[in-house]
Amino acid sequence: MFDVLPIPLPWYVVGPLMGLTVAGLYAVTNKHLGVSGAYVQVVDFARGRPIEGWRLWFLAGTFLGAAVVAMLGGSPQAGFGYGELGEYLSLPALVVTLFIGGVLIGFGARCAGACTSGHGLTGCATRSRGSLVAVVTFVVTAVAVTFLLHLLTGGDL
Amino acid sequence: MNRVNGVCGLFGLAFGFLFAAAGLNQYDVIHRMLLLEEIAPFLIMGSAMATALPILWLLERRRWRTPLGGPLALRRWAFERKHLWGGVVFGTGWAITGACPGTASTTLGAGSLLGIVLVVGIVAGIALRDATVRTPGTATPDSVPQSAPVGAD
Repeated sequence: MFDVLPIPLPWYVVGPLMGLTVAGLYAVTNKHLGVSGAYVQVVDFARGRPIEGWRLWFLAGTFLGAAVVAMLGGSPQAGFGYGELGEYLSLPALVVTLFIGGVLIGFGARCAGACTSGHGLTGCATRSRGSLVAVVTFVVTAVAVTFLLHLLTGGDL
Repeated sequence: MNRVNGVCGLFGLAFGFLFAAAGLNQYDVIHRMLLLEEIAPFLIMGSAMATALPILWLLERRRWRTPLGGPLALRRWAFERKHLWGGVVFGTGWAITGACPGTASTTLGAGSLLGIVLVVGIVAGIALRDATVRTPGTATPDSVPQSAPVGAD
């Protein structure tokens, strides 16, 4: 909307500031930064289990933070855009694909105990052995499956 | 709203801002990363860890007392086999969608309506997993951390 924020910001700005966010949340509130736990609260709430409210506040914050970026610097995926995948698939096929992919993400993160943030960023920073194994598995699998998709689509993806 | 929730919301705001400002909420960026054509997301993960790790190490060593959450207790997971196969399932979903849980909320925040599909899918996947583990009603945490017994990240 305003185009005052150069996107993407360089990695050497974003990375260290993200690290400070991880360390800062621990230092102030004693909380382990992670996103997928917030979605777990939705399921726990539906099943009548006690929930951790802070996780939902954190999730709402990430939503707003991204909205600020979209206002200051634009958003290439606004509306029904989804990058190259959106060009490759029709909208109904895209919705089905994203839903199935989402189920795999939720199921896998729940099994592994955390996701790319909880294991990948924060778990590695707390020198958690299970997190290191999980994040290496995440990345190796995702790279392998991406190359497979690339081959199967004849290089379109 | 208590103070902890408000502070966590602010940290979430910072995290979501950085996430989106680096373009990590876009399919094309993550897809190129996973094709090993774009190295910036790896450098972001690496430099974030390299920043947080020594700070947390030092705070733990100094027996830091957090202002809002008592004595600092860093959460750690011992290795279990489910980290491996959960990681394979997660990694497959990540590759297909170019999204992780952080992407879902930030792509939605950036105005992408398809983020709703991701969020619904992720919640459904968690519910599916919880439905397949026994004894509903007890807060069976999927991993047994050294502290903070409820939920997962």
